[in-house]
Amino acid sequence: MKRLLSIMLTVLLAASLAPAIATASSETYELALVTDLGTIDDRSFNQGSWEGLVQYAEENGISYKYYQPKEQSDDAYLDSIQLAVESGAKLVVTPGFLFETPVFIAQDMYPDVNFVLIDGNPHSADYAEYRTESNAVGIIYAEEQSGFLAGYAVVKDGYTKLGFMGGMAVPAVVRFGYGFVQGAEYAAKELGIDGVSVNYHYTGAFAASPEAQALAATWYNDGVEVIFGCGGKLGNSVMAAAEAAADKWVVGVDVDQSSESDRVITSAVKGLRESVYQAIDAAYKGEFPGGEAWVLGADRQGVGLPMEASKFTAFTQDDYDAIYAKLVAGEVSLKKDADAESADELSSDIVTVTVVK
Amino acid sequence: MTNRKRVNVFGAGFTSALSSIIAILVGLAVGFVILLATNPAQAVRGVGIIASGGFNGGMKGVGQALYYATPLILTGLSVGFCFKTGLFNIGAPGQLIVGAFAGIWVGANASWIPSPLLWLAALLAAALAGALWGAIPGLFKAMLNVHEVIACIMCNYIGMYAVNYLIKNSNAYDPLKNQTIDMTRAAIPKAGLDKIFYSLKGRFMDASSVNGGIYIALALAVVMYIILNKTVFGYELKACGLNRYASKYAGIQEKRSILLSLTIAGSLSGIAGGLMYLAPAGGLHINVVETLSAQGFNGIPVALLGLSNPIGIIFSALFVAHIDQGGYYLQRLEYMPQIIDIIIAVIIYFSAFALLMRQAIGAIQSRLNSRSAKRREGLADAQEASKHD
Amino acid sequence: MQNSNAEFIIEMHGVTKDFPGIRANDDVTLRLRRGEIHALLGENGAGKSTLMSILFGLYKPDKGVILKNGKPVSIASPNAANALGIGMVHQHFKLVHNFTALENIVMGVETTRYGLLRTDQARRQVVALSEKYGLSIDPDAKIEDVTVGMQQRVEILKMLYRENEILIFDEPTAVLTPQEIGELMKIMKSLAAEGKSILFITHKLNEIKQVAERCTVLRKGRTVGTLRVADTSIEMMSELMVGRKVEFDLTKNPAKPTAEPLLRVERLTVKSKHNQKPLVNDVSFVVRGGEIVCIAGIDGNGQRELAHALTGLTPVDAGRIFIGDKEITHSTARARNLLGMSHIPEDRHTYGLVLDYTVEENMALKSYFRHPFQRHGFLSFAVMRGHAERLMRAFDVRAGQGPATRARSLSGGNQQKAIIAREMGELPNILIAVQPTRGLDVGAIEYIHKRLLAARDEGKAILLISLELDEVLNISDRVHVIHEGAFTANLDAAKTTAQELGLYMAGTRAKGANA
Repeated sequence: MKRLLSIMLTVLLAASLAPAIATASSETYELALVTDLGTIDDRSFNQGSWEGLVQYAEENGISYKYYQPKEQSDDAYLDSIQLAVESGAKLVVTPGFLFETPVFIAQDMYPDVNFVLIDGNPHSADYAEYRTESNAVGIIYAEEQSGFLAGYAVVKDGYTKLGFMGGMAVPAVVRFGYGFVQGAEYAAKELGIDGVSVNYHYTGAFAASPEAQALAATWYNDGVEVIFGCGGKLGNSVMAAAEAAADKWVVGVDVDQSSESDRVITSAVKGLRESVYQAIDAAYKGEFPGGEAWVLGADRQGVGLPMEASKFTAFTQDDYDAIYAKLVAGEVSLKKDADAESADELSSDIVTVTVVK
Repeated sequence: MTNRKRVNVFGAGFTSALSSIIAILVGLAVGFVILLATNPAQAVRGVGIIASGGFNGGMKGVGQALYYATPLILTGLSVGFCFKTGLFNIGAPGQLIVGAFAGIWVGANASWIPSPLLWLAALLAAALAGALWGAIPGLFKAMLNVHEVIACIMCNYIGMYAVNYLIKNSNAYDPLKNQTIDMTRAAIPKAGLDKIFYSLKGRFMDASSVNGGIYIALALAVVMYIILNKTVFGYELKACGLNRYASKYAGIQEKRSILLSLTIAGSLSGIAGGLMYLAPAGGLHINVVETLSAQGFNGIPVALLGLSNPIGIIFSALFVAHIDQGGYYLQRLEYMPQIIDIIIAVIIYFSAFALLMRQAIGAIQSRLNSRSAKRREGLADAQEASKHD
Repeated sequence: MQNSNAEFIIEMHGVTKDFPGIRANDDVTLRLRRGEIHALLGENGAGKSTLMSILFGLYKPDKGVILKNGKPVSIASPNAANALGIGMVHQHFKLVHNFTALENIVMGVETTRYGLLRTDQARRQVVALSEKYGLSIDPDAKIEDVTVGMQQRVEILKMLYRENEILIFDEPTAVLTPQEIGELMKIMKSLAAEGKSILFITHKLNEIKQVAERCTVLRKGRTVGTLRVADTSIEMMSELMVGRKVEFDLTKNPAKPTAEPLLRVERLTVKSKHNQKPLVNDVSFVVRGGEIVCIAGIDGNGQRELAHALTGLTPVDAGRIFIGDKEITHSTARARNLLGMSHIPEDRHTYGLVLDYTVEENMALKSYFRHPFQRHGFLSFAVMRGHAERLMRAFDVRAGQGPATRARSLSGGNQQKAIIAREMGELPNILIAVQPTRGLDVGAIEYIHKRLLAARDEGKAILLISLELDEVLNISDRVHVIHEGAFTANLDAAKTTAQELGLYMAGTRAKGANA
């Protein structure tokens, strides 16, 4: 019982002496980002969005800060949004679709604060209500265009045996995959070749796993030259397999992944940085696109390939600019996730898609 | 005069309290040094924010600290209970996640149980599964003399991977978010705590995540205290922990004690998992990731800081959650979250040196004693001398 | 007041030391001459160990001064003591069990070259020392494999290797066989002859008589006096120590054994777990009610395994054990307890006590599970306390804070008395007493012997396993001598002598061959 008393005293002491010191007013930070699962330097959503925020803040001399939730849950994410707002945030960037519900609540709670939700649109926890208030914007990307560019580029560069390995068959990943197949077909048509093959598989998880690496290695062994590793850390498994084989390549995803492995030939990126920058810029110009759901395609620099970091031999910047212009002009119509049940429906005389279960 | 008993300058309880306080102050001091090193301008306010913990966030913040303390109390009890029996239960992360999954599976499948009781059934399932996961290393230790640390670590990984596999192949899987589904029907009830621990945000009543689980954790700590200190069973367990030869000599079945001790510890961790993950949409879900539960491992410093005493563990878990919550609010200043993680870890682990501190205080105390004794004797001698003059 | 006569190598003046609830040393004065063997005599808890711990730097005195060669010194740690040339052989040896004798001796003062151990030079030195003083050891044997006697010689060599000149022996004979004691006495004399000054802590009066020149007697923490051993009789020393007259020859009533044995052992064999060597080899005997049967032998001849097999701590490989008519060969320890078997174990720290439990918790170690100690699974602390208080009164167990004292903080003698109180308090039918008086002083030994005899006279069966020849001859009725696990003789205690016993124990004679 003495110990009980002792520890009780201690906690009381710690709790009571502290607020006295801490009452001084805090600094405020106008631009805020709340991180999704993972850290700010995740070379993915957090980092990409953060770079856009930092760029705008530095250029315009605005205070900025990011906040990390204590755990991965809607409540904890919402709590961090609150922490950001209490610390003076006027605009909060939330990268990742896991913020859909927290932002749905926060947009009502803080009508004076603007929210930029990347890769999703606000909805209630039970998906019953989709609603974007005038102080929030949801940004999603035309992944099929990004995948299209990647597929087009690798076939143009001379590869014909391709693979697509997605994490899970969620709409964004499916759009990437379908775009990749269609890009390959488009390039093959231009080149007048046929016999392009695409092995197509969803691993079922966005995590790196030995199974994924083993499957990638098998594909490479069977002659596949380039695999599009589409989904979080899954790409690392594919890169590991590519590194173990000779002359095999990987297409990265979401952000420029060339620094992850020298086997990354290019990356099918989303313009996280650009879109965050655009959204903040609009807000400060008094043109915040509140209530909108942006779908960013090539027309708004929402997708692309990082050409300077790519390792193409035949595919040039001019080729890229040409196909990009076609996308911007809307000259290429692409099938999206809702347009085909399964990837093998995209097979044609030119491209054979083999779905691996 | 010769047999006069010397009064202990400090009471034993005071020594205990002092050692814990000093340990915590040392922890805060080291944390302060890191604060100074990374951002001197805000260091004083920083340490204030850390020490204020949940109070930074008003009643909601306090509630959050209680919410994060709930599983820590239980894993702390789990580890501390085994310490008392002479075992090192490093298997709490595995027991926790296995228990959590069992709870969620029942929550998702036992739809015939009415909703107000479903959480209870799910929590029982979590306790049972955790107990099973604790019993495995217990059996290995008792039957084959495999060291429990080895078996527990193995069971952590087996448990984590097995749960990942089972989630994906169960109807409790949400493939879009790669996690378990919402446990709205089987969520631990709030038990009125959301009416106490909330903050007003405009017209919103922003309730803390704390729920009735904290009552369960507190009650179990009291139960463990009674078991350890008031029952025949506890007497046997502690005897085994303190001297296995003497307990064998006394006819206590050591193997039974080992098995039961780890089984009970496992069920405590399993309940911790149940309380964490039996949550509605806004709460935690088991993510299919290859990471061992931090709440499981944090039971170790909690048990150490609480000196393995169940009541002490309540307070040490509250303290750890309090400081951790303080670190969260430290984000209001310029500090980077990574630095904050380091600072908080340093404070907690330094504080866990309470035992060492206690020894140091014992030494200082005996020195003080002898010094004051000398002074008294000196006085007596002087009086003696003056008499002779 | 300070006497700086350099004839004294060490002087301790007015030393006082308090522990919570007890003053262990009260104004104690001790002066050690150069080259003498000085005995420190006192009952358990008289403050001998505390005083020596102060001299060895383990405790800091609350009051008092220590002089070496007439100059005040401060001894803050064992290292400081070592630097002053003070070495100590502790009652419980401080050796690393899986190190060799040589490694243990040089540990801490290893000679190194370029950071590497240089054992050859150390080995030469150790061998030279061991030859000089007749301390025969095997430098390369691991401590766990050698006899207690050799372990002690390693401890002595440790001191000599560090060139200590003041040697403290803390109850060195408690663990030795009669032959080994003789050797030790010789060694101590030769050390003194070489100019070493020896402090010899003991309560065995005849040993003091044998080797010591002077003797300081402590009682209840205070110095009773320092006397010349040659001028003092054993009776007088014991009276000074205990504070009253002590009876050395016990009045022993003739045994009246029951017809039926209470404990019966048939062809018992216990084998080593490692190499299947029989440690107890085909042993048969009975113990009847109303008699004390003794197993005598040199330490390590199977006594421990025999006791463990009888009490259920070790499985039996062959043979059968009965309590009355009931076979208990494979019963649990608890089942045997409940059938009326008690056990005073050889090692009180390992088996006898849970040192971090209080005295009252230890007193309940064999009964906590029975009514009224437990009710519905809950312990009754009131019952435990009452039980402990009764036993402590009856067996004169002294503890600073009564029944709530941690067993660890009791003196060795009081720990042993606490065990004996627990095991004999409820007067079992069968008592297995393994070295029950080990490490105790004459007063306590006398008391325990009386208790054993009283229990015998009440018709209990007592099996005494002892290494002390005096004890064997004084209180037992029949003696079995054990050598290498087998009985070499079955003797009538009244008709045998210490010399005869010694020969059987050493295995140089066996009954069948020489009777």
